[in-house]
Amino acid sequence: MAVTDIQISICGSAGDGTIAAGDILKTTMARIGYRVIAFDLYPAEIRGFGKCISRTRITSDQVYSMKQQSDVLVSLDDGHTIPHVGEVRDYGAVIYDSFPITMLPEGGHISGHIKPGQIPYGLPIREISERATSSSRSRNIVALGFVAGAYGLPADAFRETIAAKFKTKAASVTEANIAAFDAGYEIGADTFRLDFVSFSEPPETKVEGADVVMMSGNAAVARGCLDAGIDTYFGYPITPATTIMERLASEMPKQGARLLQTEDEISAIAATIGAGYAGARAATATSGPGLALMAEMLGLGVMAEVPAVVIVSQRGGPSTGMPTKTEQSDLHLAVFGGAGDAQRIVLAPTNVEGCYRCAGKAFEMAERYQTPVVVLMDLYLSNRLETVNLPRVSPFAAGLSKDVEADTPAGTYQRFAITDDLVSPRALPGQADRMHTVTGLEHNESGRPSDQAAVHIEMSRKRHEKLKAALDHPDITICKRFGDEGPVDVGLLCWGSTFGESLEAMMKAQDEGIRCSAMKVVMLSPLPLDRILAFFEDCREVLVPELNYEGQFANLVTAATGRPVHRLNQVTGMPMRVEDILERIRALAAPPSRSAAE
Amino acid sequence: MPDMRNPVYVEEKLAEIEASGRLDYRSDSLPTWCPGCGYYAMTEGLTSALNRLGIAQKDVVVVSGIGCASRFPFFMRTYGFHTLHGRVLPVATGVKLANDSLHVIAIGGDGDGFAIGGGHISHAARRNLDCTYLLFDNGIYGLTKGQTSPTSVVGFRTKTSPYENRDEPLNPLMMLLSYGASWVGQAYAGRPHHLADMIAAAIDHRGFSYLHILSPCVTFDKTTKTYQNLNVQVRDLPSDHDPSDLMAAMALAADTNRPALGLYFRASRPTLDENLDRIVEAAGGPLPPDRQRDRQSATR
Repeated sequence: MAVTDIQISICGSAGDGTIAAGDILKTTMARIGYRVIAFDLYPAEIRGFGKCISRTRITSDQVYSMKQQSDVLVSLDDGHTIPHVGEVRDYGAVIYDSFPITMLPEGGHISGHIKPGQIPYGLPIREISERATSSSRSRNIVALGFVAGAYGLPADAFRETIAAKFKTKAASVTEANIAAFDAGYEIGADTFRLDFVSFSEPPETKVEGADVVMMSGNAAVARGCLDAGIDTYFGYPITPATTIMERLASEMPKQGARLLQTEDEISAIAATIGAGYAGARAATATSGPGLALMAEMLGLGVMAEVPAVVIVSQRGGPSTGMPTKTEQSDLHLAVFGGAGDAQRIVLAPTNVEGCYRCAGKAFEMAERYQTPVVVLMDLYLSNRLETVNLPRVSPFAAGLSKDVEADTPAGTYQRFAITDDLVSPRALPGQADRMHTVTGLEHNESGRPSDQAAVHIEMSRKRHEKLKAALDHPDITICKRFGDEGPVDVGLLCWGSTFGESLEAMMKAQDEGIRCSAMKVVMLSPLPLDRILAFFEDCREVLVPELNYEGQFANLVTAATGRPVHRLNQVTGMPMRVEDILERIRALAAPPSRSAAE
Repeated sequence: MPDMRNPVYVEEKLAEIEASGRLDYRSDSLPTWCPGCGYYAMTEGLTSALNRLGIAQKDVVVVSGIGCASRFPFFMRTYGFHTLHGRVLPVATGVKLANDSLHVIAIGGDGDGFAIGGGHISHAARRNLDCTYLLFDNGIYGLTKGQTSPTSVVGFRTKTSPYENRDEPLNPLMMLLSYGASWVGQAYAGRPHHLADMIAAAIDHRGFSYLHILSPCVTFDKTTKTYQNLNVQVRDLPSDHDPSDLMAAMALAADTNRPALGLYFRASRPTLDENLDRIVEAAGGPLPPDRQRDRQSATR
């Protein structure tokens, strides 16, 4: 079977319906069985004429990143689209309005910018829209219809998506949009097409015990929380985490669970810790600036050994930074932030399905090891859409709290007893004969404040060492190697969303004959040190690609292993380009004398 | 002055206290407060109020912030959470929403509540979080050994105001009344029996009950909020005060020269946990039978 791998970009001005057309495209392609990964870009401002781009990669098999070059580019606004013409691959298509509404200055029309080898499709998009719907407002849908028609995609599936999208609006809205789609489709189907871009039959998508659905990282996190049986959520709106809370606000009450919008992030984490102390599965979600406010309370969670889940979606920083741009610069804050030796578990998913798994597993771990767990994602993961296999039955375990033995005599219970696995039996408020007080002060086994050296030494050991068991927590990938086995020239050591681009770069490098591996590290704290060291043993050169200025993960790894790494750091606010990673792999794969590690 | 015609013998008093059952609410930890501190009266007041109301120790969670007052949970044989400076009410919110059947007592001082924690009180009050907030006001930071607090009087000299404090003190009662607290009262450590009664009434209220407790710091304040001064300043609320009259309560609270003790304001409205249950019902979610709409509200 031929393999489909097509990326379609739609570019326009805010108000052109760029994102809406892209939504219909990706929803339909996922509906008919293709794998989809998509990442939209739009301006931080709600109004205005900013640039919007909707990029959708449609494939037969699961992929992990966007392609650097699109196969098809649709222009709804030439001014915004012209800079992106170069992103279209050779023999790719550029679709544009051949009869724009105004006289354009010299060089203002996209037709003058299409490069030799690219296939131009000029059609009077506005006119077709006006003829079909008596309005120019459906240009986006006409263009979408043209794409569907030209590439022989099933029109009915698109019509169903359009009907579903507008089902809350008046029937005339749906009719107008379908008319616009059909008009575009008809012209597309009649157009002479070169077969450089073609779709094969969609793959068989049945997965045992799972539904294949398209969702964003934030939606996946919310679904993970719901499937893990979340009891309480406390949160404060912040880009790009807000949609997690919005989704939970409508879904949690349906499960009988409670959500409260608090007055700030400090209150959100404090209430989460309070609820965790009282036995709830409790979570909050925020971004870097919110996590900074939460740092002190995270320390209390560590000290008082309270389960809590903190989801963090990173954006460009520091301070207010770039709220609608992606970055991976909160790793240090997530792993180390706060006063004192406050080790906690930190999980960093690398794709949308990982967001679901990590969110659910975070509740298991928080409860099992009695600690705050941070799930560290970023804007790129939060907002991008992927088709994922969603289990029909929750894969997450309930009731993992270590209970007090029933025959423990009244008055002898010790909340912080040192046990074999260093996790103490936990009594919840409401349980008879187990009354105790927990505190942010250093304390002895019974919970009484103590600043004796022996107590602080023993309790510090307890709080750190109990977390090691999380490295063997069941049914979660905390670390995994891909690509060539055994000794390799270049190993990519990756975390978070950048792993997707790194994996693509690795595969391209392998195609070029370079021996190359990539390892994703999902658990950033505690670090799976043995496996990282084993990876170092196999790699002549290790490269750490990440979206921050100095290399926060590189710092973490070199400090923990004492091994040198090469760093690839970018702060463009955008996902890393596969080509940039590949370029470094090529340079590092060259004879070792040419590139010394730091 | 002791009444010499009716002497109290230590043994008899101890036997009476032990028989009352209120020591069951005390842990075996000795309080860390200075001799003469008003907070001892609070300990006696809370244990006797809980005992009188017959609330089981296992169903009580005492949540506190940081400060002299906030050491309180260690001296109770109930569940306790000694949290962070200023964060007592957000933590109490989480505890209560995780388990409605718990009686949540929030405890903190004037610095904990009105300086660092000032942003939280208004929201706990407006949401009508079903908890009792006992605020111990001594007008000074005691645990850090004597600095100005948000309720210190103008002219007060401390280690951080050596040339006299010039910031106007807050008026916590007026703030709580305007925040929408559904129960607002004031008591004084120098009147322990009245204090115990007020604590019991505050706990008995369904909703957010705020009890402001005037309490001298005998170590770091020898001049302003002393027992000697407060004994002559405090008065009872006028016997004809109607606690449903918010404006009358505001007028009484505005008189800071003669702090009046008693119940300023009381109203009955849905609590935060009840409102969240209504949201679950609106979404068609499951609720245990005892939390469905016909559940009795107003008073316990």
